[in-house]
Amino acid sequence: MQILNWFFGINHNDSARNTAKDRMQKMLVYDRLELPAGRLEVLEEELLAVVSRYFELDADTTHFDLQQTERKAALVANFRLLRAKC
Amino acid sequence: MNGRVIVVTSGKGGVGKTTASANIGVALANTGVSVALVDMDIGLRNLDILMGLENRVVYNLVDVVEERCKLRQALVRDKRLPNLSLLPAAQTRDKTAVNAEQMKSLCQELKNLFEFVIVDSPAGIESGFQNAIAGASEAIIITTPEMSAVRDADRIIGLLEARKDEIEQYKLVVNRIRPAMVRNADMMSVDDVLDILSVKLLGVVPEDEEIIISTNKGEPVSGTDNTRSGLAFRNIARRLRGEEVPLLDLDIPNGNWLNRIFTFLNPVKV
Repeated sequence: MQILNWFFGINHNDSARNTAKDRMQKMLVYDRLELPAGRLEVLEEELLAVVSRYFELDADTTHFDLQQTERKAALVANFRLLRAKC
Repeated sequence: MNGRVIVVTSGKGGVGKTTASANIGVALANTGVSVALVDMDIGLRNLDILMGLENRVVYNLVDVVEERCKLRQALVRDKRLPNLSLLPAAQTRDKTAVNAEQMKSLCQELKNLFEFVIVDSPAGIESGFQNAIAGASEAIIITTPEMSAVRDADRIIGLLEARKDEIEQYKLVVNRIRPAMVRNADMMSVDDVLDILSVKLLGVVPEDEEIIISTNKGEPVSGTDNTRSGLAFRNIARRLRGEEVPLLDLDIPNGNWLNRIFTFLNPVKV
């Protein structure tokens, strides 16, 4: 089966190779910033609290992530806004 | 003469720093340039064994630094390659026997005598590593496609990046790649490692049992023909000299169906 998958170019996302790459990329963002575990979650909560004072949010689609390009990290926060609070 | 001082480093131990240093040194010397191999792993001397020169070590790097002998007396000339010399580490001392300033002036002296000075760094990021990079203006980072080795390589890159003024350029060598495992998606590929580390590639060396045999014989693989790892190291030496040499094609994970059939029928073993 594995050979068939490989033969037809099916991408196994749960492969050891992809898992390793994914884990590495996440780990190194923290390493490079010297960011302690859990710190980001605290920030996320605080940011959510601030934005929630101004907007009603769709909590399910809120997305919060650290991304990396060329060894530089970017904080990407995506809040789905439902309506402004007055 | 104003030679290039290149430090070979990795962070993690056991990824092939010393093997790479020996092989790159031999391959460079085979291209005709003069090369000094410097073993900076003070207390854990190994480069002399890989070079098959362990019986000819009289003085060592610490003797030179502490002025018990002249630099020329400590250099062990390789009989097979007269333009290649080894400056052995001391076996009975530790990393504190040399400091960064002493290393800088030693490298300065070596630069005047050799076109290439290859410094084999100890594992770790402490004083031994700091001293090893002290006199260098270029670095080769060795990693394997394993998570722990890549993480340590990343740490090293961070430290080299912080010393941009001295280390003008650094490049990566991915060692011990197993194309069959990459093809089966069991292991990270060279491209995966480059994506993760965002660093320039100097070369790729396949996993090769010949390395063990050559170490036992004291004859680095890059000095002999017919080994894939030896060819990989010779290519690295040519690239260091500014030549453009294509990478060894070790796997074709996303080729077209013809390629797939071809790789399937002719598995690349290394």
